[in-house]
Amino acid sequence: MTYYSRQFRTGLLAAAITLLLVTFAGFAAAQPLPALTGRVIDNAGIIDAATESALTARLAAFEDRSSDQIVVATIANLGGEAIEPYANRLFRAWGLGQAGENNGILLLVAVEDRRMRIEVGYGLEGTLTDLHTKLIIENTMVPAFRAGDFSGGISQAVEDIILVLEGNAAELEARAERYEEQRDVWWESIPVILFFILWGGLFGGSILFAILAPVFGRKIGPGRYRWLGINVSYGSSGSSGRSSSSGSSWSSGGSWSSSSSSSSFSGGGGSSGGGGSSGSW
Amino acid sequence: MTARSVMAGTISGPMRALLFLLAAAPLLAGCGYNTIPTNEERAKAAWSEVLNQYQRRADLIPNLVETVKAFAAQEREVLTAVVEARAQATSVQIPPEMLSNPEALQAFQEGQANLTGALSRLLAVVEAYPDLKSSQNFLALQAQLEGTENRIAVARRDYIEAVRAYNTSLRTFPSVLWANLWFTDNKPFATFTIDEDKMDVPKVDFNDKG
Repeated sequence: MTYYSRQFRTGLLAAAITLLLVTFAGFAAAQPLPALTGRVIDNAGIIDAATESALTARLAAFEDRSSDQIVVATIANLGGEAIEPYANRLFRAWGLGQAGENNGILLLVAVEDRRMRIEVGYGLEGTLTDLHTKLIIENTMVPAFRAGDFSGGISQAVEDIILVLEGNAAELEARAERYEEQRDVWWESIPVILFFILWGGLFGGSILFAILAPVFGRKIGPGRYRWLGINVSYGSSGSSGRSSSSGSSWSSGGSWSSSSSSSSFSGGGGSSGGGGSSGSW
Repeated sequence: MTARSVMAGTISGPMRALLFLLAAAPLLAGCGYNTIPTNEERAKAAWSEVLNQYQRRADLIPNLVETVKAFAAQEREVLTAVVEARAQATSVQIPPEMLSNPEALQAFQEGQANLTGALSRLLAVVEAYPDLKSSQNFLALQAQLEGTENRIAVARRDYIEAVRAYNTSLRTFPSVLWANLWFTDNKPFATFTIDEDKMDVPKVDFNDKG
């Protein structure tokens, strides 16, 4: 009886957990996020073509100089969600900003909700403060949007953001330099990595072989073992069976990703903790 | 005689098993041994971020109170409520070791919810003072306060998600085996129950002054 009830309880628990997971998955999939197709994603269709290409060029040039990733996105509506959590989800899904620096900025406009938000990555919160974003929204975007000039408001806001980021020139250069160093780091460490693979393979391999031979090998005499076709003897003077061709070299299959591919745009893996501010018009 | 010859002499059953275990140790990582400590540390880090953001809000309040006082000293009641709620909220501290205690977290949550309520009443009162609303100092504080509230919301979401992952790893295969064999002291963490802003619904009572 107890056995059955226990089994039943376990089953119930499993069902509950599954339900919970399904519910969470359902939450996550509630509002589908747009794809990151470029630096300007005008899903609401409020930015004219000339402004869009000018903005894209401006933002690409700025990223080349500073490594800061600024993305402009417009959507038709938020589907009932508040703009703050939506912007944060979008920011994290796209991974704006470079991975170690978190220097991304998302300018999001939800047209039907008449809401806009500037979401700032962790790394830029100190430079582009909440007050800056609030002032840009209230003084630049809101008046232009009220006049119906979406293109002008957005490109002026982008200019303001870049102005603030450039205003702290020393910090900007330091950030770009740090990023360059980070990007260069694996070139410089190739000799080191090769060194470790070579010597680690030679020494580590032979030591491991010596340890494992008595465990897995066949004993062919006192203190002598044969494993993988190689005789290993443990004695005071010398080992007769040198591991001449023990192919025990570990190659680490690390995937080095070079992140700067200029043709297609993708997020650098940065994150945001909800910095920035929102407004409405 | 070198150490190696000694080793050859003593290699026997238990020694072999030990050597095998040593070689297999890295493989343990593949069967979920690391899952529980990893998730636990992640949840604790997420909790630190929650505390960090609440502290940031508490640090903004004295300045905010002073600024409001300069323009609206007669709103003493609302101002005192904010100061008291802040003192009460900051008196409840939860170090990461206490996260498995639901009552402690509940007390913390209530304290912070009270402060949220007092703050929103203060910001509602401010609407009646145009000079205050347009003062640069107040605008700056308001922008920071809004930003902090949003960061709190993000930190809470991250914490809820981290705790969900941790609690799940305590109950699901294969990490549940390690939970029962090795990490017997690990208890599920408590998490935030309801959204804070839904906890403190402002009451509208038209017969109040009559």
